[in-house]
Amino acid sequence: MAIVAGIDIGNATTETALARIEGRNITFLATGISATTGIKGTLANIAGLRSSLGMALERAGFKRDEYKAVDLIRLNHAAPVIGDVAMETVTETIVTESIMIGHNPSTPGGVGVGIGVTILFSDLSRAREGDSVIPVVEAKHDYEAVAAGVSDALSRKVNVAAVICQSDDGVLIVNRLPRVIPVVDEVSAIERVPLGMRCCVEVAAPGRVVSLLSNPYDIASLFELSPEETKQIVPVARALVGNRSAVVIRTPLGEVRERRIPAGELYILGPQGKRTVNVEDGAEAIQNTIVACSPVENIFGQPGTNVGGMMERVRRTMSDLTDIPVGDIYIQDLLAVDTLVPQKVVGGVAGEFSLESGVALAIMVKTEELPMQRLARATSQELGVEVEVGGIEADMAIRGALTTPGVKPPVAVLDLGAGSSDASFMKTDGSVTLTHLAGAGNMVNTIIASELGFEEMELAEAIKRYPLCKVESAFHIRQEDGTVRFFDKALDPGVFGRVALLHENDMLQPLMLPGINVERVRSTRRKAKQEVFVKNALRALEQVAPGNNIRLVDYVVLVGGSAKDFEIPTMITDTLSRYGIVAGRGNIRSSEGPRNAVATGLVLSSIESGSRTKGGS
Amino acid sequence: MKINPELLEKIVREVLAGMETEIETGGKSEPSLSNSSPSNPPLPASETVAGVQMTEKGPAARGTDPKEIVLAVSPAFATAFKTTIVDIPHSSVLRQVFAGAEEEGIHIRVIRVYHTADVAFMAHHAARISGSGIGIGILSRGTSVIHQRDLNPLSNLELFPQSPVIDLPTFRAIGKNAAKYAKGESPTPVPTNNDPMARPRYQGLAALLHNKEAGFQDRSKASQELSVSFE
Repeated sequence: MAIVAGIDIGNATTETALARIEGRNITFLATGISATTGIKGTLANIAGLRSSLGMALERAGFKRDEYKAVDLIRLNHAAPVIGDVAMETVTETIVTESIMIGHNPSTPGGVGVGIGVTILFSDLSRAREGDSVIPVVEAKHDYEAVAAGVSDALSRKVNVAAVICQSDDGVLIVNRLPRVIPVVDEVSAIERVPLGMRCCVEVAAPGRVVSLLSNPYDIASLFELSPEETKQIVPVARALVGNRSAVVIRTPLGEVRERRIPAGELYILGPQGKRTVNVEDGAEAIQNTIVACSPVENIFGQPGTNVGGMMERVRRTMSDLTDIPVGDIYIQDLLAVDTLVPQKVVGGVAGEFSLESGVALAIMVKTEELPMQRLARATSQELGVEVEVGGIEADMAIRGALTTPGVKPPVAVLDLGAGSSDASFMKTDGSVTLTHLAGAGNMVNTIIASELGFEEMELAEAIKRYPLCKVESAFHIRQEDGTVRFFDKALDPGVFGRVALLHENDMLQPLMLPGINVERVRSTRRKAKQEVFVKNALRALEQVAPGNNIRLVDYVVLVGGSAKDFEIPTMITDTLSRYGIVAGRGNIRSSEGPRNAVATGLVLSSIESGSRTKGGS
Repeated sequence: MKINPELLEKIVREVLAGMETEIETGGKSEPSLSNSSPSNPPLPASETVAGVQMTEKGPAARGTDPKEIVLAVSPAFATAFKTTIVDIPHSSVLRQVFAGAEEEGIHIRVIRVYHTADVAFMAHHAARISGSGIGIGILSRGTSVIHQRDLNPLSNLELFPQSPVIDLPTFRAIGKNAAKYAKGESPTPVPTNNDPMARPRYQGLAALLHNKEAGFQDRSKASQELSVSFE
């Protein structure tokens, strides 16, 4: 009789399965889970391993630190150790000579279109009868004074066509005027608005968007442009699409252009030699090149560029952690996803943001067995228990997944973790093919954070994990599917009126991000999950399926931490059903859900290898 | 700690003024919290204080207009007191709060609350009779609260407890955020300054001001609706 602990050190969690083995009979006693300490595959993992094992021991009726009760610890051969995720912005919008204002203030004043020449508000009293002018008002002027000045000018028959002002006074000014004119407010860098130039201001009615200034031909009509000049105005019109208010000023050389930032090239080494792809060509081009080079042997970035820096950083981190020389570290997979990143417009007058395109990259490094053996030795010394490195993660995952009721070979297993997505396929004869791919939960977090414009990864993790709601009153919320829920007790005032995340136990976490709504967060979250997990599921199955044909797979079992997500499994099930595949979340040993697959597999495989190495203890 | 002579002088003046009132009223032992007869001289129903005219129109009723928020001020606001603790005129305070709400398309109804001098209860009372369910409370020294009718009185949506650091842009933002809550939007809470020296420097003065302010309360008098006009 022997007690065996299978311990799976993952990128995010360390999971333990504790079992008693008598001959060929295996009785599972308990499981444990705790956060992984340090980067997977390094000596720093031992702390997390202790607490995970301790938890399992305690649940099995032993003392928390009674490690001696265990006869054998089996660790997974943690192949992919490091996955790094980075964002590269590849475009930027530049406005020269401040020829447009498109910052979309929440409350512009009035409605309509006004065309005139820009003048300083203090010069308005000097404007003559019949002039069409657009006063530019600095924050030092009070709204009463502005309204009085404009009313006075209007009574002198000066055609004040519109107003551009710095403080948030649009509605206040219009409410005090004898007739309604469009007012664009909150223009922060008002001193940069060119004066004495022909200008057009448009404010749309609430709930509508500008129609004139977002149409190049209308701009051409307003400013009497030639066909060549109209071509140049197209980026301006494009930048103003979807805004409620807009200003276009005609200056001799002003323009809006989109610049592509040189993000660098990727060099991908495969059996057929080296291929080059430019990061700014986007995710699809990168992914096609990866497929063309498969199986990828190594990936380098162009030295001196952002991508080059990212690749070298990963190599260096990896080398520092494992003592393997930098030259011997191989990057074996890369996943690129197109994203949109809110970036400040260069040269903008009112702090405009524009959604620039970017590419998120996740990469994965293949490790040697060396560091795992070192970890095993160190663990053995620390705990005084025999430790062996059991087997490859995906192989173990499939053994664990087979304990799910209703599954039999041939079967494919997708292990969706935090750092990598692994796939394995077991044929009827028990032979296994497997693959490890870059890009999983952490990449989803990175995409969510950059698209919504914040830095905190904990917040991104929470957005990924919990559904959204809008708190509509102190007693009810509207969930993201439109259903309303009432509460008996008043909700925390901190969430009143806000978009919030609905945690377990009905705890609400308010999202304090400027200008967000439920729909935007939800679509960002779902898109990120689709792009990473669904894409990786297809990519992985293609690599392990017989003849690389996904249709030849009948059953797919989803395991791993990300398979516990509330929507990722359904997204994958939905996509794979088009290939006629039965796919669903695993239920390890009919009790563990999708977790603990690898740890269970490690215990199960000990009967085969265990008898060999341990000689029947 | 550096002693600010101006502040000291102000405190001395406040104390002396308080003593005079006590002497005039025959040195009553409980000048501030007596139920029926406030120790301070009765206030006129309408008074113009440097730029704002506030006239009582009768008891404040429950509103039904979802586009309104209710602003509760204390009896001494813009009458016995004319400025906040940092000498911002009350007329400017009202003007900025009004402007903040008007910019968002929301209308403010002003009431004078007599039954309490606690800003949380004032604001909650305002929220309960507000058509939108959102109320604001402002004390004479500047302390402010944004409240919602379904909350507990001592809970709130946004609290601005340090009266010395509240400036006019903050009052504007208070009006704006209260209006946004009324519209069901989710505004970013108003950013406020924090001055760790505000407490040691102003606590004495704030206590005196509150004592004087509380002296005007009349627990038996219903809240009065005010018409406000600026000049």
